[in-house]
Amino acid sequence: MEEDILTTLKILIIGESGVGKSSLLLRFTDDTFDPEQSATIGVDFKVKTISVDGNKAKLAIWDTAGQERFRTLTPSYYRGAQGVILVYDVTRRETFTKLDNWLNELETYCTRNDLVKMLVGNKIDKENHELDRAEGLKFARKHSMLFIEASAKTRDGVQCAFEELVEKIIQTPGLWQSENHGRAVQLTDEDAGGGSCGGYCSLV
Amino acid sequence: MAADSDLESEVFEITDFTTASEWERFVSRVEEVLNDWKLTGNSARTLSPEKGQYTSGTWGEKSQDINFADFKFYITHYFLKEECDQDEGTDSPKEDVLPLGIQDLLCMNNDFPPRAHCLVRWYGLREFVIISPGTNCEAIISESKCNLLLSSVSISLANSGCQVPMFVQIQQKWRRMYAGECQGPGVRTDFEIVQLRKVPSQYNHLSGLLDIFKSKIGCTLFPLPPVNIAIRFTYILQDWQQYSWPQQPPDFDTLLGGEVGGVEFGKLPFGACEEPISELHLATTWPHLTEGIVVDNDVYSDLDPLQAPHWSVRVKTAENPQCLLGDFLTEFFKLGCRKESTEELLGRGLTEEEGKDNSDISSALSKLTEPTATVPITKLYVSNMVHTARKHIRRHRRIDESPLNTDVLNSVLLYLFPDAAVEKSSENVKSKTAPSNSGETTEQDKNSDYNLFLQLKSAPSDSLTYRLALCVCLVNYNYGGMRAVAHLWQEFVLELRYRWENNHLIYGLTGGPPDLRCCLLHQKLQMLNCCIERKRARDEVRKTLEGSKDRERRVSGGSQNSRQAPESTAAATRELSQGKSWDSWSDSEDEFFECLSDQGEIEAPQTEGGKDVSKGKAEGRLHPHNNMTLLNSTEPLYVPVTQEPAPMTEDLLEEQSEVLAKLGTSAEGTHLRARMQSACLLSDMESFKAANPGCVLEDFVRWYSPRDYVEEEVVDEKGNTVVKGELSPRMKIPGNMWVEAWETARVTPARRQRRLFDDTKEAEKVLHYLAMQKPADVASHLLPCMIHAAILKLKEEESVEDIPSVKKSIQQAVSQASKLLHPPNRDYKKLEDFMNQLMVMEISITRARSLKAKFSVSEDEKGEDADELEKFVSSLLEEPEVAVIGAGQGPAGSIIHRLFINSQRAALLAPMDDDLVSDRKLTGRSSKVADFPPPAGREILLRTCVPRPAPYSKALPQRLFCVLMKDEFRLAGAFSTDTSFF
Ligand SMILES: Nc1nc2c(ncn2[C@@H]2O[C@H](COP(=O)(O)OP(=O)(O)O)[C@@H](O)[C@H]2O)c(=O)[nH]1
Ligand SMILES: [Mg+2]
Repeated sequence: MEEDILTTLKILIIGESGVGKSSLLLRFTDDTFDPEQSATIGVDFKVKTISVDGNKAKLAIWDTAGQERFRTLTPSYYRGAQGVILVYDVTRRETFTKLDNWLNELETYCTRNDLVKMLVGNKIDKENHELDRAEGLKFARKHSMLFIEASAKTRDGVQCAFEELVEKIIQTPGLWQSENHGRAVQLTDEDAGGGSCGGYCSLV
Repeated sequence: MAADSDLESEVFEITDFTTASEWERFVSRVEEVLNDWKLTGNSARTLSPEKGQYTSGTWGEKSQDINFADFKFYITHYFLKEECDQDEGTDSPKEDVLPLGIQDLLCMNNDFPPRAHCLVRWYGLREFVIISPGTNCEAIISESKCNLLLSSVSISLANSGCQVPMFVQIQQKWRRMYAGECQGPGVRTDFEIVQLRKVPSQYNHLSGLLDIFKSKIGCTLFPLPPVNIAIRFTYILQDWQQYSWPQQPPDFDTLLGGEVGGVEFGKLPFGACEEPISELHLATTWPHLTEGIVVDNDVYSDLDPLQAPHWSVRVKTAENPQCLLGDFLTEFFKLGCRKESTEELLGRGLTEEEGKDNSDISSALSKLTEPTATVPITKLYVSNMVHTARKHIRRHRRIDESPLNTDVLNSVLLYLFPDAAVEKSSENVKSKTAPSNSGETTEQDKNSDYNLFLQLKSAPSDSLTYRLALCVCLVNYNYGGMRAVAHLWQEFVLELRYRWENNHLIYGLTGGPPDLRCCLLHQKLQMLNCCIERKRARDEVRKTLEGSKDRERRVSGGSQNSRQAPESTAAATRELSQGKSWDSWSDSEDEFFECLSDQGEIEAPQTEGGKDVSKGKAEGRLHPHNNMTLLNSTEPLYVPVTQEPAPMTEDLLEEQSEVLAKLGTSAEGTHLRARMQSACLLSDMESFKAANPGCVLEDFVRWYSPRDYVEEEVVDEKGNTVVKGELSPRMKIPGNMWVEAWETARVTPARRQRRLFDDTKEAEKVLHYLAMQKPADVASHLLPCMIHAAILKLKEEESVEDIPSVKKSIQQAVSQASKLLHPPNRDYKKLEDFMNQLMVMEISITRARSLKAKFSVSEDEKGEDADELEKFVSSLLEEPEVAVIGAGQGPAGSIIHRLFINSQRAALLAPMDDDLVSDRKLTGRSSKVADFPPPAGREILLRTCVPRPAPYSKALPQRLFCVLMKDEFRLAGAFSTDTSFF
């Protein structure tokens, strides 16, 4: 089992408290919805192995609390993450307006600038949406993110969100390979000609 | 033909080349390859290559293995990539068109290309195929084997109809001997080479070579069509004495003054210690002469280099000139790979003492918790610090044993801790030692150089860490190597300890928690500063309180044993907390945020769980929260003063998340994880209770997690609309951790709580960590800063010279370094390559400098010339060969001429006097000393178009390229024969 795992990816879920981060994660890992789930303290952690395009990837997913006071803890979990899921609640506009703060924080603390970001508008099963799809799309486009609307309760979009994210990470060269295969910079171009006389065939 | 072949005609047991079947197989293999590469038709291109196209264009190369029995050969196709590739009419070879390879023999547009394959230079070809022995294979030496190969070539060309010249490489590779053939309709050209180690005297001039050429052509026509001649003489200038490389190596010995010799602490040295340009090659060319116009024989020559119509110059660079920045980096990098520990380097005595200090932390702690009042803090001059540290060291080591000279050490420490140098009034001390750079940063933020540290994960260029890197590098290079670095490091750590123990902030670090974007060492230093800051704040409070207590004592005659009180409280707290392990991360000795219970303050009665509506006095209020009032009273809801979260360095965070991850994903693990992280929540709840007597969990949630308090408008019995609120469903789950924590939380203001962040313990941890670092570890920690510094230095030096290629390289280097320095496991092989790239840049800049010095115009000369010279110099750096405008008469030409004259005189020990170098003497061969040395090489190219072999044959291109050097004589001939009419 273990040996055909392509890679372990670190993924982070952030966003205001109560938007459904923990519920999304639970839906993804255990395919359940638990209305009795208590509010996260600090950070939580779950693992799941998924298969994308025939490649197995082990996901280590960190779920964060989101309350102002817990925020000082989370920056550390940004380190080394390859993917990040930003969640807002489509029935609460203020969770959407706060996204800018989260992005700022992300930019400051993540250690790689090529990490893949996904925006998830959660709780679409509920009535009285304060945000429509178009607004989420616009925001995602502006910040080069993937975007999907989802419901942890009805499982809409959840599986898809994680799969898309992982696929994108795997497609991003250098993001998941431990050894990046980029060639070393070639700063000089001596031997341009080649050939048995070394190309640079002056008289002497 | 191969003159030296008799020397090497031993019998090799390779393969029996004469086996007919093997041979046939080989021939058909060659044909197959020619077909694969589509070299079999005649090309429709009839245009001659353009002037200089061989240099400006790009050359392609295609290669394949090919076997003769089990002897391996390479067959390689070399070709000039042309823009409009042969497309139309390719397959209809016109009867009367000569193959390109034969046409090119006469083309004069690309004689003496600066950079080309030797066959291109000798034969003017733009396309050819070579068969050469594979790597590790014997050279083809015996004449029979050579002939066998040549006939294979001949047959393959004939069979396939290929018109591309094909060569076989014979003899040892270094001799560059090729024999080849080109076939076209009714025409064949044979390529042959003669190579000797000495120039036979009868051929040591143009007239002798013309004789060979004519006799080889064997043309009986009279008068013979004129032979076209191109000549190029190359002169080498090696002696730069008169323009000695201006940079002296920095004078390290007088360095203590600070700014002598170009090196001071904080500045990296730069530049070559030796001439980076080893030779200048001047090629003087007569591109188009006809027989009879010039005389060059054994007694007389018309070929005066000064009169040559065309001059070009190339420079040969020194292989690995010693360059200072490169040396510094290399030594520093090497230091990072050493194994020795500080103890091994400095002997036991010192480190033992250090160890003793650290080993018994509890005694150290009790020492620390003693009132630090032996020296009243306000009386302490910061300048004493270095001094005191010094004394401390001297106690352990005789001065003469110190690996690092005391004066040097002092100036390094003063550079690192400049706050220690400034005499200040005691009142100023505290404010001045506060972290200083936050103000400057905003200004510098615009500057991309300043933010380079983010890309490299180093540290800001004005930080202590960065300065330390520079010092370690300098000390390592020049003041005693690794032992001195060990010594410096020890002193550095000692100074940090001193600052910790005496509540002095470390100068040159931005305040706040460790910046995770910087290198770990920088984070550690910031962490220590956080500890010092917290401790200072605590001591500050203690002092004011002690002051008031003293007053109180004086009034009440209080007892002496006040120190016991906090301890008993601590013990009590421990008992309390043992049952429920809310105390997650800090399992240390119970250190209280402030131990003030003996300070005679009026306390709110401590009620367990806080369920009773206590009428106690509120404590630790920060400010009211959004005009809210408590749910059960009319009191405003106050935000409490809370404990600051613990600052963390990346290694601690890593550790912490590992521990958290290890708990697994079970429900139990999740619960435990939440528990471990709830210390902060609990502390906040306690503070909240203290600030808001009579509050309930709902009140806390409204402040702390407002979305978990759901408000609804409802209509009550009287028909009024009222807002009714309640906890969110998840907060109402019985026994959930928030409720549990709320019930456990006591009414305690932050200042009386157990410290979440144990600064004493953390500071000791940092200091211990630092003390344990070997010199090699220190160097590894500081490597990003060092690379950062080197890049800045290169940028600075490049901007003076403005060299586009270096500018580009620096940009590439930054992104490369950013990739190399971020991952936790560094690839040292790649890093080493990277360092070499930095050195190449330094050398390039030095070369530019050297050339500029040599080709600088004096001030009274015209500005136009200066521009021209500047262009000339920059082309010399970027191009393999540069034409000299105006040849010997132009501004660059006359400088080159002067260089040669001076070098000639120096060589003959003639008196050096610039006044003698008057124009009169410049031109004449009359002066005693020749202006130029004998040419290092002469190339003579003879071309004509005559019928061969018979007078009635077609007139065909004939060519002989002659190379005459001190130890080489080479004739490369291409002779064409009419194969249909003879
Ligand atoms: N209707 C609905 N409720 C949801 C959904 N996701 C989460 N919730 C509820 O929203 C509340 C907060 O969810 P939680 O996952 O704890 O949010 P977190 O603080 O972001 O982790 C809980 O009461 C969940 O039951 C959803 O998709 N639909
Ligand atoms: Mg949660």
